[in-house]
Amino acid sequence: MIESFKHLEELGRERDLADVFLESDAEEYGITAETILATLAQRRQVMVECIHRGQKGGLSMGKLVGNEAKAMSEAGEAGKLFLDPLLSKAMIYSLAVMGENSRMGVIVAAPTAGAGGVVPGMLIALEEERGIAPEKTVRALAIAGGVGSIVALSASISGAAGGCQNEVGVAAAMGAAAACYVVGGDTRQSIHAASLALKNTLGLVCDPVGGLVEVPCVKRNSFFAVHALAAAQLAYAGVESVIPMDEIVEAMVRIGRALPRGLRETAEGGLATTATGCSIGERLKQEQDEKRRLRDEERERLAIARKSESGV
Amino acid sequence: MAGRPDRRVSILDVMGPVMVGPSSSHTAGTARLGRVSREVLDEEPLELWFFLHPPLAATYRGHGSDFALVGGAIGLNVEDPRIPEAIRIAEQQGISIDFAEEDLGDVHPNTVRIVSRGATREVEIIGSSIGGGVIEVFGINGYAARFKGDSPTLLMFYRDRPRMIHQVTGIIADEGINIASLACSRRQRGKEAFMQIDVDSLPSRQAIERVRALEDVFDARYLDKIP
Repeated sequence: MIESFKHLEELGRERDLADVFLESDAEEYGITAETILATLAQRRQVMVECIHRGQKGGLSMGKLVGNEAKAMSEAGEAGKLFLDPLLSKAMIYSLAVMGENSRMGVIVAAPTAGAGGVVPGMLIALEEERGIAPEKTVRALAIAGGVGSIVALSASISGAAGGCQNEVGVAAAMGAAAACYVVGGDTRQSIHAASLALKNTLGLVCDPVGGLVEVPCVKRNSFFAVHALAAAQLAYAGVESVIPMDEIVEAMVRIGRALPRGLRETAEGGLATTATGCSIGERLKQEQDEKRRLRDEERERLAIARKSESGV
Repeated sequence: MAGRPDRRVSILDVMGPVMVGPSSSHTAGTARLGRVSREVLDEEPLELWFFLHPPLAATYRGHGSDFALVGGAIGLNVEDPRIPEAIRIAEQQGISIDFAEEDLGDVHPNTVRIVSRGATREVEIIGSSIGGGVIEVFGINGYAARFKGDSPTLLMFYRDRPRMIHQVTGIIADEGINIASLACSRRQRGKEAFMQIDVDSLPSRQAIERVRALEDVFDARYLDKIP
């Protein structure tokens, strides 16, 4: 078992980082590296399909978001994207995944659903824009998962436990390490990519409007896809994090504990309690009450129908 | 950083599951907790009660946790596109469903107590959705348990007495199956007790029947990995 990032760096010296993670999991869980890769290949396919569907748009459950990827793709067709195509595409793809997620579509939690746009968005964009073989992306997904599994040894990966740093921050760390590997970085550089990405996400709160995974989650994923690519670029250029990854994770846990409950996914603070956030929350609550009322009515109708069927 | 084996997760746990959105802890994790209740009940549920810890009670509706809990409890997988329709499906089957808020103590924010009743038995599970779709079940029918749904597990309810562990592990040994971990808890010496045995592979139906047939065993159930 890989116990820490320090341990990972020792194990991964002069080695392919994906192999290090795959061997560790194969031993730990009694499945072969090939099986893990085959499953990850299926998940990559789910990601690709999700990215395609997501660009068609459509309103989210709470009707707050859903058409961001579509808007940005259309801006691309109109020649209005001025960022490097890799960055624009990473943003569009992250938005596409999150749009699907907000409509209760099928996605891959990576590591969570609410932060599930970062890793697929940046890695599929990188694959397409830099001519990376899909097999390499699949190996990069093993690295992303491995990085997350080490973080999970000491931190709960949920906004409820420690704010958005625990979700999108960890997703960005996973994606940064994976992207660094894809472009040719070594183990040490991948770990520093993860460190830089997570370090610069610390303190980020989870304050979703109306408690939904919509605002600010959907757009935030596109920002952090770019953030993670920037971290990978820095690390691949040889820039290192002064604070080691294990200590950054410890800091994240401490910061998470210090966050007030209202900023940990409860929708009782931050953006959720702005004037606009509150009025949206109120509207959502009314709609849900209405839905519940309709459901109760239908339940009653069904009960009556059953009684008359059974001849009582 | 000190390793905490209870939080050990795999690459595939982190890069997954494939699931219906929008929240891995509120939708996928809760669906899996619902699914645990269905597997422990081991028959079609007729009534379902969900007692939500206050932070979950505050956020569950917007994340479709109600659909997910019910979906799991009627046997749907986390990636089943019917999850958004789960409550309707359950009610059409005549299953009664109730949600309530309940302070479950010093536990993870996303913790739920699920009571399900079928034609022949009633079961209660308490568990948390700790993020990324990963779950920890820590109570089954009032006994302390430790269950993540990530390995095949034998659950056994029996009367506490000497040689019980020996006999049960003997049956598993006859199958040539390795035991990953074993835990017992009992209400009182010589009274009702609970045993959870995590195994590396699936024991045969005959083995379960042999365990069930042991003297002083009230019930035994085999749970596969929770998808």
